Amino acid sequence: MSGLEIGIYSFPLLILLIFIRIPIGLSMLMVGFVGSFLIGDNWVPILSKLKNETFSTFSSYSLTIIPLFLLMGQFARLGGMSQALFKAAETWMGHKKGGVAMAAIGACAGFGAICGSSLATAATMGQVALPELRKYGYSGKLATGALAAGGTLGILIPPSFVLVIFAILTEQNIAKLFIAALVPGLLAAVGYIIAISIYVRIYPDEAGSRERAPYAERFRALLQVWPVMAIFLIVVGGIYAGVFTPTEGAAVGAAGTGILAYFNGGLTKKSVIDSILQTATATGMIFFIVFGASIYNGFLALSQVPQEIADWVVLLGLSPWTILVLILVIYMILGCVMDSLSMILLTIPIFFPIVSVLDFGLAPDEFAIWFGILVLIVVEVGLITPPVGMNLFVINSMAKTTPLADTFRGVIPFVTSDIVRTIILVMFPSITLFLMRWLY
Amino acid sequence: MLQKVTPLVHGLAKILAILGGIVLLAMIVLTCVSIFGRSFIFLGLAPISGDFELVEAAAAFVVFAFLPWCQINRGHAAVDIFTNFLPAAANRWIDFIAEALMCIAIIIIAWKLYDGTIAKSKYGETTFIIQYPIWWAYAVSLSAALIGCIVAIYMMFLRLGELVHGKSNSTSGVAE
Repeated sequence: MSGLEIGIYSFPLLILLIFIRIPIGLSMLMVGFVGSFLIGDNWVPILSKLKNETFSTFSSYSLTIIPLFLLMGQFARLGGMSQALFKAAETWMGHKKGGVAMAAIGACAGFGAICGSSLATAATMGQVALPELRKYGYSGKLATGALAAGGTLGILIPPSFVLVIFAILTEQNIAKLFIAALVPGLLAAVGYIIAISIYVRIYPDEAGSRERAPYAERFRALLQVWPVMAIFLIVVGGIYAGVFTPTEGAAVGAAGTGILAYFNGGLTKKSVIDSILQTATATGMIFFIVFGASIYNGFLALSQVPQEIADWVVLLGLSPWTILVLILVIYMILGCVMDSLSMILLTIPIFFPIVSVLDFGLAPDEFAIWFGILVLIVVEVGLITPPVGMNLFVINSMAKTTPLADTFRGVIPFVTSDIVRTIILVMFPSITLFLMRWLY
Repeated sequence: MLQKVTPLVHGLAKILAILGGIVLLAMIVLTCVSIFGRSFIFLGLAPISGDFELVEAAAAFVVFAFLPWCQINRGHAAVDIFTNFLPAAANRWIDFIAEALMCIAIIIIAWKLYDGTIAKSKYGETTFIIQYPIWWAYAVSLSAALIGCIVAIYMMFLRLGELVHGKSNSTSGVAE
């Protein structure tokens, strides 16, 4: 068998292993390991690669950002910022039709600015906003749908660890990606709010209303969220301005949220240990997948499959836009069964060489950043589409009286909003790129 | 037998994870102090030299220390929507096979990390700025990887026990 054949046969095998519940990182590691052996018919190269590969992957300076962001999210949760954010958003928007759900979206966006993970955002805001939504007469469908969708803002609004992985895989500038993610992230929040306002006009009895808060109370509530704004500006601003590297920015952010949690009385011995253990589980999961992917991708590169596929796609003579749309659709379908990080690690090494030779009239690094943001958005849709949308399960497990089927239906308006936003961003690359162009 | 070692292995993984967390916190402090020193250079302060070399060495240990805790809590991402339709017995087989493969992988990783440590120490490689021998960092990670092996072997036998006795006593590796 030629290397190319081995590389091609590895796809169905890998998919099979993943679908019979072998951990994704392990599946990639095994297929990559055995595949590398088969190509050279020799165990020595892959075994000697392993001598340094684990250490160098785990000690990668750019990847260090991941445990730091995860811990930062944990501290943000302990600091009680979720309550303050929700309160502030509620006093400003709560009296509108569907306003409490809109406030939940706004608060998720705010929390997403200091938390790089969707699940943490969904879980944290769910705890705060779900009881309030039920109190004001919102249906379980709308409440859980809005919060599951709002959770994705955790990753769409920078900082975001999926973007860090994308940046490393494609050798792009993390700071530029963070800046580029900002406008699409805010658009996502606006899109969700529009989805709610349309939904409550069609089904008026699914949302209650709340009394209008006086302006004095509104500004007082707004004042409570300044630490979130400050931390976000220091971290993302500092990274952008080059005051510190993204890893240093994450360390500063973790320290900032930690101090905030301390002053708000959120730090106890138990809660700190709990945060560390939560961070440990998530970090272990992410790094094992990253490591498995690095072995698998090393094998793929050896088999020359990515170049061959890229050449083959060019020969097909499809228009660049068709190929781009096809790839985004593949992500949406794959997102129904896989988590976002595994998808990115598994597919970017194959898709990126294909798309980077296509001409969209953009400079190469601008294209890479635009593509990264588009991929980020479509893989996040996977978090809120059944059957394995993790955010749906997280939120639904908190809402005891809401059947899962209701949550699945409740998220439809938000998925629609995601699709509309993706189409807009595909048609107008400058929406994603203008801020970055202007700042750099 | 397995019941006896359960609290021991669980405790070991937990202590290791907390240790990793403490190193992570130390990394944060180190980085912040270094940035502070760099920002006030005009006052005669200075950044910690080679700070990122320390961060890298620490980061590798942190990840190795976190991995066993992730494994013992079934933290590794897997796709379960198709296997949910299979009978419980088939799922116990999958659990055991997955855990056995994981065990092999983790032992190979630790074995090769050991080889790597030996190689780095033999050639006396040092880092660029502080010039500490790289094998120190390898050795620290290796100690965490060895605990990872213990946890992996334990998990394999835990799943084997469930397979033999025909019952899944827990959803996580932690026996309640």
